[in-house]
Amino acid sequence: MRLRVLPCALAALFSPLLVHPAAHADDFVIQRVLVEGGRASQLGIADSANAGSVSQKELEMRTIYRPGELLEAAPGLIASQHSGEGKANQFYLRGFNLDHGTDLATYVDEMPVNQRSHAHGQGWTDLNFLIPELTARLDYRKGPYSAREGDFASAGSASVTYANRLVRDVATLSVGQNGYARTALAASRDAAGGALTYALELLHNDGPFTHPDDYQKVNGVLRYSRGYANNGWSVTAMAYHGRWNSTDQIPERAVDDGRIGRFDLVDDTDGGEARRYSLSGVWRQTTADSMSKVSAYLIRNQLDLWSNFTYYMEDPLHGDQFAQPDRRVTGGFNAQHTWHAHRTDTVTSDLSVGLQAQNDNIFNGLLHTQARKTLETTRQDHIVETSRAAWIESATRWGETFRAIVGLRADDYRFRVKSDLAANSGSAGDTLVSPSLNLVFGPWKSSELYLNYGQGFHSNDARGTVATIDPKTLASLGQSPGLVRSRGMEIGLRLDAIPKMQTALSLYRLDFDSELSYVGDEGSTEAGSPSRRYGIEFSNYYKPVKWLSIDFDAAFARARSRDVEPGEDRIPGAVEGVGQLAITASQLGKNGAWEGALRLRYFGPRPLIEDNSVRSHASTTLNGRIGYRIARDLRLELEGFNLANKKVSSIDYYYASQLRGESEPREDIHFHPLESRSFRLTLIKNW
Amino acid sequence: MKLRAMSFNRYRGFIARCAAAAVLAGACALAPAHNFHAGITDISYNERTGSLEVVHTYMAHDVEALLTNLYQRQFDLSDPDDQAVFRKYVEKQFWLADKDKRRLPLNWVGMTADAQSVVVFQEVQQTPASKVEIVHDEVMIDFLPDQLNTVNLTVAGSVRTFGFSSNHPEFSVH
Repeated sequence: MRLRVLPCALAALFSPLLVHPAAHADDFVIQRVLVEGGRASQLGIADSANAGSVSQKELEMRTIYRPGELLEAAPGLIASQHSGEGKANQFYLRGFNLDHGTDLATYVDEMPVNQRSHAHGQGWTDLNFLIPELTARLDYRKGPYSAREGDFASAGSASVTYANRLVRDVATLSVGQNGYARTALAASRDAAGGALTYALELLHNDGPFTHPDDYQKVNGVLRYSRGYANNGWSVTAMAYHGRWNSTDQIPERAVDDGRIGRFDLVDDTDGGEARRYSLSGVWRQTTADSMSKVSAYLIRNQLDLWSNFTYYMEDPLHGDQFAQPDRRVTGGFNAQHTWHAHRTDTVTSDLSVGLQAQNDNIFNGLLHTQARKTLETTRQDHIVETSRAAWIESATRWGETFRAIVGLRADDYRFRVKSDLAANSGSAGDTLVSPSLNLVFGPWKSSELYLNYGQGFHSNDARGTVATIDPKTLASLGQSPGLVRSRGMEIGLRLDAIPKMQTALSLYRLDFDSELSYVGDEGSTEAGSPSRRYGIEFSNYYKPVKWLSIDFDAAFARARSRDVEPGEDRIPGAVEGVGQLAITASQLGKNGAWEGALRLRYFGPRPLIEDNSVRSHASTTLNGRIGYRIARDLRLELEGFNLANKKVSSIDYYYASQLRGESEPREDIHFHPLESRSFRLTLIKNW
Repeated sequence: MKLRAMSFNRYRGFIARCAAAAVLAGACALAPAHNFHAGITDISYNERTGSLEVVHTYMAHDVEALLTNLYQRQFDLSDPDDQAVFRKYVEKQFWLADKDKRRLPLNWVGMTADAQSVVVFQEVQQTPASKVEIVHDEVMIDFLPDQLNTVNLTVAGSVRTFGFSSNHPEFSVH
């Protein structure tokens, strides 16, 4: 189906719903009224049992080692690090090793964070520019069940909203072990009939590594907004600069025989530098009968990344270090409109349509380097990747007992690659239509049953869609499709029946036509075999009294490749179980000055190789924090990470490498250690 | 519509008119029949304390939506810090003035919130109701274009009612 005719066809299909446009437009942020400080119930709001929203207060109570860990507020999600602190995090969700963000769509302030056709990994999600002090909300959902979301959203999506205005200005100063220091200022001023909000963050962190990360970050946001979020607009400029040394994953054999320590590294010239600048705007208009939203963005990203994962295997003389520079300008917009219709007294419909477009102008490459000096160019590419999408969604409520959300989405991608090898240059395109259906049954007072079905996709690296030759080996290559379909189905239950407790249970299946898998020794992702996942997720939030809340989440997944040799169907890195138990107490002691939280995180085992003969161990770690309010506007916080000082890995890989002095490559587990126990002390001043 | 019972009777006639309008609107396929947004404020003199008392009642959902759309985050109206945010807003949007256009010193007494309504209590100490010359009420009106605020001013035992809207955010009492 051609994309041009699609919106018209879709409109015709859904036109009966347009008969009585009216009603409830101001309800677009359908927040349940909070009067006991608890988490807002998602009953009557969410379209699935797995979706949710985390408030600013809940986010503030979390102990986060790095900004990407804010996403762990979504049950079942793990964000870790396998390299220097400035690198994009490593994500796990729903039985996926999401590498640096494949199949997890992340948005900050309406801007996509995932970088497609990235030099280092498809969907590269660097969240180091995220400023927690500005974060007003985190919304998440899992599975490809929404027509509103496209690329990378099959395992899930997370969306961070920055505040237009701050209730109170804030300045913080933190110091910690391992060279940690951070200061941030975030404030709002009334200006020219609107609000000017700004934030500045400076950070330094070495980590526990023998060769310090020396991560230096400068980060700023400047925003002007007028009106309300639902009737108003904002323009935002952001700038981030980070530079760091990397302690990349190390071979277990060298640690076992004492050649190197757990926090040592092999190549002390690994590291990187990242810059991100963006200019974005959001405009929203809400009336009694409709809601419109348009957002647009222009993002400049620059990354220099030097890694060495195989040490001296390819080049015993100079070593295997490689550089993956990536420079890009991403521009795009999202526009959507919703009509609200009262069809009868009890039946209401929302009909929404949306248009999206994104263009990436990318210069990236793969270079063989030694101590960050280029030895040779493996490949260099200029990629222009353009996508456009149209979607339509109809949400109808039949009284209190049933609602249905039907959606259809069409995506069209163009990939143009100009490579230094003519055989790897060319253009390709792909189009995909993705339907979704969500049925919600709620005849009971405090529970809902969800049935979800949807198709989604991820895009493949543009270079793979036109390449015919492996630039390293000159072997001929098959081209990958531009877009890879996923199909998900889920049955979910949300239960608020027990007083003060919210429970959600999901049972899902997710199929991919081709799995994006990580190639450890090449430091890239490639399109692999089809896959199927089954999983179960169980999440609970219990707030028995105003000062105490307990979170307990557990998720298990079974991931298998399909159409492969028997016994070779495991997916390396696919996490089999994730869990957390968090206890948060606030308003304790005299004048309610004390607060605290403890969080136990379980990161389950992963197969590291297709035949499951090598596996990584599960790990359980404990983080915590204690806060004390010195005065009304002054607080002191002590955060502790890895309190039990567990010697576990943040990540494990299994592949071949060769150290200096070794005569031949050896298959081995390569791991990045979880940071040892450390503490940070923070002074927070509000005014 | 779940406003306080004491205010409800006064409001019944207006609701009936709105309901009638909605029925009429429903007959026309393209006319809106949307949610109805209203607030009620009672201003009266308390002889026992000698203060002019002001009691505002708003729908909790509307207040919640207002704050969420101002700051994009969730609000807990039982939390004093969050109440302070609504206080700042009300004090900016609602004021009383005397005949010389001097603002009367409205003190914040407190507020209560439940799942249905938010009630705000203010007072002007040692001031009779007759001192009030100008009432300015734009609470929620800047946020919800169809918001209608009714102010009942009791002076010497007789009640006068004023309807505030985006077209009419201020009244001169006399």
